[in-house]
Amino acid sequence: MSDPALGLTMLGLIVIAIMMGFPTAFTLMGLGMIFGYIAFWAPGQHWWQNHIFDLVVQRTYGVMTNDTLLWIPLFVFMGYIMERAALVDRMFHAVQLAFRRVPASLAVTTMLVSAFWGIASGIVGAVVVLMGVISFRPMLKAGYDVKLASGVITAGGTLGILIPPSVMIIVYAAVAGQSIVKLYAAAMLPGFFLTGLYLVYILGWAIWNPKIAPRLADDQYRVTVPDWLRQLERGKNRSIVPGLIAAAFRPALAKGAASYGLILQDIVALSVPLLLTVGTFGAAWWYVLIYNAPSAQVVSAPPPITAAAATVAAPEAPAAEAAIADQPPEELGAAVEETSAAAPVAADTKPEELSTETQARVEGVGEVPAHFFQWFWGLAALSALSLLYYFWRMDAEQFEILKELCASVVPLGVLTIVVLAVILFGICTATESAAVGALGALYLAVMARYLKECLWWSVGGAIVGIVLGWAHADFVELIVSASLGATFAGTLGPGLIHLRTSPELRQNVKEATFLTAKTTAMVCWLFVGSALFSAVFALHGGQSLIERWVLSMNLSPLGFQFIAQMIIFLLGWPLEWTEIIVIFCPIFIPLLPHFQIDPILFGTMVAVNLQAAFLSPPVAMSAFYLKGVAPKWVTLNQIFAGMMPYMLIVCLCLVFMYIWPGMTLWLPEFLYGK
Amino acid sequence: MQSFYHTIDEISYWSGKASAWLIVALTFVVSVEVFKRYILNAPTAWIFDANNMLYGTLFMMCGAYTLALAAHVRADFVYIYLRPRWQAVLDLALYFLFFMPGIIGLIYAGYGYAADSWRIGEHSTVTAEGPPIYHFKTVIPIAGALVLLQGLAEIARCIECIRTGQWPVRLEDVEEIDVIDTQLSHSEYVDEESRRVAMEGAKAIDEAARHRSVMEEGVVHEMAIKEDKDQEKKP
Repeated sequence: MSDPALGLTMLGLIVIAIMMGFPTAFTLMGLGMIFGYIAFWAPGQHWWQNHIFDLVVQRTYGVMTNDTLLWIPLFVFMGYIMERAALVDRMFHAVQLAFRRVPASLAVTTMLVSAFWGIASGIVGAVVVLMGVISFRPMLKAGYDVKLASGVITAGGTLGILIPPSVMIIVYAAVAGQSIVKLYAAAMLPGFFLTGLYLVYILGWAIWNPKIAPRLADDQYRVTVPDWLRQLERGKNRSIVPGLIAAAFRPALAKGAASYGLILQDIVALSVPLLLTVGTFGAAWWYVLIYNAPSAQVVSAPPPITAAAATVAAPEAPAAEAAIADQPPEELGAAVEETSAAAPVAADTKPEELSTETQARVEGVGEVPAHFFQWFWGLAALSALSLLYYFWRMDAEQFEILKELCASVVPLGVLTIVVLAVILFGICTATESAAVGALGALYLAVMARYLKECLWWSVGGAIVGIVLGWAHADFVELIVSASLGATFAGTLGPGLIHLRTSPELRQNVKEATFLTAKTTAMVCWLFVGSALFSAVFALHGGQSLIERWVLSMNLSPLGFQFIAQMIIFLLGWPLEWTEIIVIFCPIFIPLLPHFQIDPILFGTMVAVNLQAAFLSPPVAMSAFYLKGVAPKWVTLNQIFAGMMPYMLIVCLCLVFMYIWPGMTLWLPEFLYGK
Repeated sequence: MQSFYHTIDEISYWSGKASAWLIVALTFVVSVEVFKRYILNAPTAWIFDANNMLYGTLFMMCGAYTLALAAHVRADFVYIYLRPRWQAVLDLALYFLFFMPGIIGLIYAGYGYAADSWRIGEHSTVTAEGPPIYHFKTVIPIAGALVLLQGLAEIARCIECIRTGQWPVRLEDVEEIDVIDTQLSHSEYVDEESRRVAMEGAKAIDEAARHRSVMEEGVVHEMAIKEDKDQEKKP
């Protein structure tokens, strides 16, 4: 027995029931059970033989074996560990020094650090409170406008749930039955685009009206430089590079230096930008020319430009075609990684230039996919030149900043980029890269406390890795095995030794583990409830009723998209993102094919849209978190007023995404084909 | 009454925390598999099933723990403005209306499901000769029973709240906001005062933000306000 009227009752009841504030997972489960019992009721059947019991257990088992949801604990765990491993305070200080000449430098730094730290962890409340402590007070002391200061923190803090690797996207992927990898690739550019828009807004406002963000007094960002480093500055530019290298050979040059080891350490720090650049280009070269070359047929599908050729092309041409197909992803990898590598390198470049540059490069690549070598060498030359200039101008102060950056931002940055690159380029399967990311985060956590031991163990592990991988004798595989071995040994060795003696390490691991369990259980039980509910809802014909009703309205695709986003935006005020995506997105997703809307585009737009929902007064939680750590004279209204412009920027970003779907879909299409 | 629900809380905490360690196991199992497959060229056939089992057991067994911490997501935009007594009445009614049928149904169905699986000695069909999965299916009724038990504790809490007009205090446990402590205790650039204020107030701030309210007492800020006022006077 099934009845559309019952389906509608269900829909009405669910809205009311959810509003009553009972844990949503159990609300859904209970409603599903009751209505399912009615739906399967057959006269003459024993009451305990109702088919609803089969349905509920099969749905539950389905969630338990869902390999998309398997990502959630791994990524959440990675986030919680990272959150404890990297010191935001230090990161903030280093980035602020690097950006000290940019207008509104504190605001820009706050935005970048909270976006970056959010990428790593993706937990809104903690980011906002922490940035509130670390950067809100300095901003107010420096005389920044209260609205500017509060807006930056609240908007930056919510970015983490959008930019991959984010849990929200995993949940959407599970709901919509889309590939997470594609969704990650899709969310990449809009995420950075939105960050770019925020930065443009801050910089524009600060340049337009310098009073809102006065420059810091010089003593606020003075870098303390040891005397012996000062002595090594050479020439008109006071570059430290020649002096430092000379000192490596003649330690007498650096008189005040405590030890020779210190000089060596500094030289290592000096080479980090160089290594990062070389590593990026080397990896790009390897990915295009070695990794993908032999497996030409494996490349999922050629991108649209070569699609026509593919149907015509004779089988003997796959190699050439693969070469065409694979250049764009590599270029993008270079561009994306480049930006992050360039952040410490070109410390003086304005951030918005960087992001637009990336945008431009990416677009340029899209038009001329066939010119891999030109692009590769062009970009390589460009990076080489900027590196040269950077080293040329490196005085002792700049060098100290570089050292700070190396210690605070680089480890976490490299880990994040490696995890994303491994996922996006399909080098490992998704689950594997998530797990390796979690392991890497553990490694960072251990390294942050026991640097020396960790390094020694890593060297040992690398040697073991090389020995074990020797049979293959492939150079790249050796590197991979060495680094894997190093990560294992470096994490487990000192980690296990100190687990007994260090209460702090123990507590960090414990906290991360329990919090992961809590978050995973929260999301996945919601899935259990909603899986049952939506099955019963469809059984009653509720879903098809809604579909017929929407279709009868004769909406245009634009109209549908607008209404759907509007509803989600409004739902975002009272509800949490988990509920919106798990309960309400499934209502829209089956309708997407009717309006020829790509579910990936839709999902990315929902993710961006929810950013606005998190910034909307009067329910936005981040405002209350900020208010909690703000000085008393900062009113809640000021904070809300500061958030409003960012809400508008998010809406602007949505409009851009709609007009220009290529921004979202370009990357996944080039990486994985249509 | 109190000892009743605290005993159940302890059971849920213990079972949840014990299962929580599966995430560490999952991380290492997959990482070792990466090493085996890519470096040693020796992939493991049952790894897919093993991953699912670890993940599925993890989240099912932590359901009761999450309920004990009141961490299951709820749409509380009306709820938070109610008085505790009304919250308890509403909760109590809904525990009987939604929670009980849902969970009891799950346990009953899960029991039959697992029993069938045990009877035929079911093995996974993901790969040929997959590993046995009957114990994995047994997790469903067990986790359901734990959640039901915790639900009874929550009902007891509701009754107590209706009687006293106050929500009984929950046992202490880790919270997301604890990271503030970890981060700030190592910070070098935040001044002593604001660090102390934030570390002491973190829990209260979290609590207040969840209820969309601002701490008016200003307990946390007393010291900070003074300093700010001095700052304000200067310009």
